[in-house]
Amino acid sequence: MSITNKAAIVGIGDTPTDRLGSKPGEPRKSSAEYIAWAMQLALEDAGLSLKDFHGQGLGVTIPTAYPQPFWPEEVSEILGITPGFLLGGATGGAGAVSLIGGMSAAISAGLIDLALVVGAAAPFSEHWGGGIQPGDMRDWEIPYGTMGPNSKIAMVMRRHMHEYGTTLDHLGKIAVTARYHASLNPLGYLRTPMTIDDYKNSRLVADPVRLFDCVMPANGGKAYILASPERAKTLRKKPVWVKGFGERSNPSYGPRAGSDALVMGVKDAGRVAMEMAGVKHKDINFLQLYDDYVIVVYLQIEDLGFCKKGDLKFFEDTDFTFKGQLPIQTGGGIINCGQPSTAGGVHHILEGVRQLRGEGGERQVANAKIGLISGLGVLPYGKNLGCCAVAILGNEV
Amino acid sequence: MAELDVRKPLPAITPEAKTFWDNAAEQKLTIQRCQACQAWVWTPKPLCNECGSDKVVWTPMSGKGEVYSFTVIRQVVGRAASKSFEPDIPYVIAWVDLEEGPRLITNIIGCPVDKVELGMKVTVQFEKASEKIWLPKFKPA
Repeated sequence: MSITNKAAIVGIGDTPTDRLGSKPGEPRKSSAEYIAWAMQLALEDAGLSLKDFHGQGLGVTIPTAYPQPFWPEEVSEILGITPGFLLGGATGGAGAVSLIGGMSAAISAGLIDLALVVGAAAPFSEHWGGGIQPGDMRDWEIPYGTMGPNSKIAMVMRRHMHEYGTTLDHLGKIAVTARYHASLNPLGYLRTPMTIDDYKNSRLVADPVRLFDCVMPANGGKAYILASPERAKTLRKKPVWVKGFGERSNPSYGPRAGSDALVMGVKDAGRVAMEMAGVKHKDINFLQLYDDYVIVVYLQIEDLGFCKKGDLKFFEDTDFTFKGQLPIQTGGGIINCGQPSTAGGVHHILEGVRQLRGEGGERQVANAKIGLISGLGVLPYGKNLGCCAVAILGNEV
Repeated sequence: MAELDVRKPLPAITPEAKTFWDNAAEQKLTIQRCQACQAWVWTPKPLCNECGSDKVVWTPMSGKGEVYSFTVIRQVVGRAASKSFEPDIPYVIAWVDLEEGPRLITNIIGCPVDKVELGMKVTVQFEKASEKIWLPKFKPA
């Protein structure tokens, strides 16, 4: 079974990133406002209206600290939609890409012929509180004084440097490339170009993880619209087709109680997606990789099979800019454009769509036909990332 | 100035983890092992994660292992962080691979933070966190 060419992305909406509420007295917006704004932008882009979505698909990314347990239904109410197929994106930062799979499958099966996927968060403007929920983090991590995902990714990064001799120069190249692309993206937030030395001299957050290794939390909303081939052909923009999809949650490489923490589930999610799409590595014109940390982008390039594990020379020799052999993070990634919680995962999809439409402006990848998008979520106890989803998009049937 | 809340967060003693904590209070490190396929099961689970058998038995461990990787905590940051760890800064969070296989998140103690290395041999030492909770930590072997 395959969903190749059974659904297309026909509209995108991306609110400008802000961090309002980080200083006292600043005006604030709610998640509801960002969601509505992102939806309006996507409807305008596609040439659709709210009424078109009654009885259709609605997908909502579930933020890490979410207002209430029935958030997707609440979002239906905020937007005034009566969905015929309602899904929550419950795979953390991978949710946005997971919903490409779920909604394309539903469209392919004929349950719906349109789907709106929205996500938003306002971590600086809204304070949902929360507290620590039951699970490994509460019982086996926090009692030792772990400081969230930074602590675990720092251990992954140090281990990679130890096993393969990876240096800050190798990693810094990724960070500098993404920032360069953000400088060319009007929707970027951190847009001042930086050097490898700027990266190396940034503050240590969780040794060896530095400030410019980390994603930047932000407020914002993002949306995309999927349509069946019949609907897609009648809409405003050139369709961007879903060519392949793969997902692996709770991946483990080696025994589950002691997995290889340097291998990510994109290894298998990517293989499945590429096989479905019928594409080889040489066919892929760009990568938009979920970037909660620089080392995570680096690992994905290895695990997707663009080089062997620990092939430092590949990273030294490859130009990852939009003009290079393997363009990555052409919009700047969420490290530079901001991460509104799990809605950050939508960023990579939207940038992929822009490139495939030829709307990449100053950072347009020449003759882009096929792009690979990844989403990642959750850092489990003893392993690398827990939810990995990969989609292959293309602009030709 | 408000008093620093020094109470550190404690694990919940869940049904599947009770034996672990009972043994830890007696300074014994035990981990579940599947009797059907001999796989180690960690963190505590109701069944074997490799084969699905529910014949998982708490098994004594040597308490020896090595540092797979680590980070030094120098600042309390993040939503889940507790200010109660501030007096301990700097301290080491490590992944320790036990010689039998399972990987634990723990602290390296009894060693200056700048002397911790990957591959360093370590051995378990329990630290009392409450009447019922003794946390397994690791010191240089």
